[in-house]
Amino acid sequence: MAKVQYSGVRESRPGRINDLGTTGKEAEENFRKGCLKKADRSFAQGLQCQQINSMAALMSLEDSVFISHSPQGCVGCSIMAVDMYRVGQAHRGIKNIKNPRIIVTNIDQKSVVFGGEQKLRDSVQKAVERYHPKLIFIYASCASGIIGDDIDAIASDLQKEYPDAVIVPIHCEGFKSKICASGFDAAFLSINKYILKQERIPKEKGLVNLFAPTTISFADQKEMERMLALIGVKVNYIPFYSSLEKIKRIPAAEASTSICKVFADEFMKTLWEDYEIPYSHTVMPIGIRNTDKWFRGIAKVLGKEQEVEEIIAREHQRIEPLVAKLRERLQGKRVFICGGTGRSFAAAALIDDFGMELVGLETPTYDEDAQVDIEYLNGIHKDYVVDIANMQPFEQVNLINKLKPDAFIGVPEWAAKLGIPTTHVLDGKRPTMGYDGLLFLGNKIADQLQNPGFNVKLSQHVKLPYKASWYEEDAFKYIIK
Amino acid sequence: MSQILENPRGGCVLAGINSILGALHKVCPIYHAGPGCCMQTSAAEQGQSGHKNSCFVSSVSLPSSNMLEKEVVFGGTDKLRTTIQGALDIIDADAYFVLTGCTAGIIGDDIVSVTDEFQAKGYEVYPIETPGFAGDSNLGYEVVWNTMIDQVIEENVPKDEKLVNIFGVVPYHDPFWSGTLEEIDRILSELGLRVNTFFTKHQGIADVKKCSGAALNIIVNPWLFKGPAKKFEEKFGVPSVRIPGLFVGATDTTKFVRTVAEALHLDKAIVDKVIQAEEDYVYSYFAQAIGVVSWKRFAVVADASTAVGITRYLANDFSFTPVLVVIAEPIFRAEDKERIIAQINDLEYAVPPRVVFTADQYEINQALCNEPGEITLLIGSSNEREVALEKDMQFILASFPMSERLVFNRTYAGYRGCLTFTEDLYDNL
Repeated sequence: MAKVQYSGVRESRPGRINDLGTTGKEAEENFRKGCLKKADRSFAQGLQCQQINSMAALMSLEDSVFISHSPQGCVGCSIMAVDMYRVGQAHRGIKNIKNPRIIVTNIDQKSVVFGGEQKLRDSVQKAVERYHPKLIFIYASCASGIIGDDIDAIASDLQKEYPDAVIVPIHCEGFKSKICASGFDAAFLSINKYILKQERIPKEKGLVNLFAPTTISFADQKEMERMLALIGVKVNYIPFYSSLEKIKRIPAAEASTSICKVFADEFMKTLWEDYEIPYSHTVMPIGIRNTDKWFRGIAKVLGKEQEVEEIIAREHQRIEPLVAKLRERLQGKRVFICGGTGRSFAAAALIDDFGMELVGLETPTYDEDAQVDIEYLNGIHKDYVVDIANMQPFEQVNLINKLKPDAFIGVPEWAAKLGIPTTHVLDGKRPTMGYDGLLFLGNKIADQLQNPGFNVKLSQHVKLPYKASWYEEDAFKYIIK
Repeated sequence: MSQILENPRGGCVLAGINSILGALHKVCPIYHAGPGCCMQTSAAEQGQSGHKNSCFVSSVSLPSSNMLEKEVVFGGTDKLRTTIQGALDIIDADAYFVLTGCTAGIIGDDIVSVTDEFQAKGYEVYPIETPGFAGDSNLGYEVVWNTMIDQVIEENVPKDEKLVNIFGVVPYHDPFWSGTLEEIDRILSELGLRVNTFFTKHQGIADVKKCSGAALNIIVNPWLFKGPAKKFEEKFGVPSVRIPGLFVGATDTTKFVRTVAEALHLDKAIVDKVIQAEEDYVYSYFAQAIGVVSWKRFAVVADASTAVGITRYLANDFSFTPVLVVIAEPIFRAEDKERIIAQINDLEYAVPPRVVFTADQYEINQALCNEPGEITLLIGSSNEREVALEKDMQFILASFPMSERLVFNRTYAGYRGCLTFTEDLYDNL
């Protein structure tokens, strides 16, 4: 029987759910029994669509033009990737900082009635005439999907007209998935189909694909590369700050790994199936435990188990006395964590390094991978709330108000207004990864706890938009089976 | 009628609508839209406007029906109904507006019948049936005010001869909007007027409802708000004056004061006294730093209002040499283009610069690179930094989109704003 092609929609994987209010213990048991069912929220706040992730993932590629076949609003979030790209250039010592080339076809009323094909054709023509790019990405949108523009057929036709650029259509229509990480998969599916095309190339000894999303700081990239160099690895860092040439080198690698749990995890499976490239899919390397686990994972694939243990022991010797100092400051403090799939669980493991206690965890999806993390966390923390939600600040503030944690780790905007000391783990401009990142994060958390003045005073002056009655309600009241 | 654009400035009409509503105190937009529209539209406007965002609800705190495949196929009005109910239950807003994304617009969900149900129960839930693909964020500004005129603003409000409404300064799409409105408010208050800025001083829906009692609508923009101004006058009898561009510095700000004073027949003695004191304030500072800011030949890339204000200040009041002005927003009516060009051409001493109309980044870059005259100072948005670096020009980040500075109440407008602008122009290199 032929292999069923993965659709790129994350919720199509069995056992993966998005809407749930529970506790760590309950989640573990119910998942094991197969009792976690898909649910929904009858009231919800905005989500992140997959198109945002598809665009962000590739926005720093050289010699590329990014065409959004959409109305103008759908490139709104690209500003975050644009900013990361500009700052990333500054960090890499580039003096003449460039903008990424983004073209929006600007689907309008006329396109909705008559189709947007001509606008897409004109946009590709502009891209070629203006920049002679090596790569042209075409992103679908809710609008282009619903009006039925066939971007694959148009792209294939345009490819004949413009043979010098590789034209890559990406199916990231927002309405297709509730899980924004699907957008990463959509991008990689197209990279495989239109760039790698199942072609075999000679292997390069010691070459490892290191998949990195746009939110990884240059400091973190250098730390990852330093660590991998210690076990004799040459890194193919992709797709952040890379190029068509580096993407084409992917099949030459001996192995693959990723910095983020939900970035290229599906793609690494594909690389195994299509090109027999083994891979390590573990955790995000934040904190001692996770960094060890991540490092051991890739070392094992490369047969470097022994070397890696020596390095880990050396790193521990260096780091542990410093972490012990931080532990003195943070021991026993109660923490609420909210983040994306990779960062939330990584942060939860990190607080164990500091002897902190988990009281609440908010993460976008629950699946087999999450179960592994929850089993580990349940071994350390007795009692904590789990909110399977992509943000949903109304649930978050309800929970925080009840749990009254000493510290909040995640997007600070709402917890800060409740006067809780906040620390962000998603800092794409400064170090957070590896053994050294741990110290930076630990100091940040400890200093915030010691000096929470800003948030305390803010909470005395600024109110969140919710009615007082909401804080009395069950935080999960709008989750419906 | 939307153009293909490279590195577009701002979002769709939905982004504009959301931004404007977000700047009103305690107003809650509710999205009937796809799963990413809240984030995308907030990022498109508030996210590129000097890092300040609506602290009531914005981005992922906006209520949303998050329309997925099921709603696309079967319609999403049931989802919308429970979303509105949830918002009413938990969010402490004075008014709620239901906004339509492309998805709801294309499949044709009837949002009005849903909002009618809630209005019948006495809730302030207003529908705005303008889907994202209908236009850009400037249109969003007009759509919000048309909605207010049609559905929110009360008729037969007693006239207040000292009350004026300010329009044309667009929250977030102009990163200096707060400071600009505060400076306008300050100046007009000196004249004894009461000012509806709508977006500062925690003004909200109550002020919007009663704004038909104003004596005058003051539009500070060379082209926006034509339709709503006409409608406003027809329905509520409030006339408008148009100030054809932002006023930066003493000359144009005084002209603005005189225009308002004339329209409202204010006491000339009081007006003269205010103008004298304000101009003295500016020139007392100028007198203390003469020759400190070195002479420049400048280009401006900005929305029409900002471009007019900055060009006229630098040319008329600061004796810099204007070379090129790029109006970087789509302007469709010929009469609007003419009005903008007239403002830029009508300089006191300086030779008028070349004026280019384009919102496309490639064309903007081309205009700057191919300009035959030398440019040593570029005033533009974050998108123009690339050319400035390449061509080694002094660069001032002063227009939208603005990513590399934090803006609270800073403004370049009015009497005091021109001092801030001139401070920023100082270049020790």
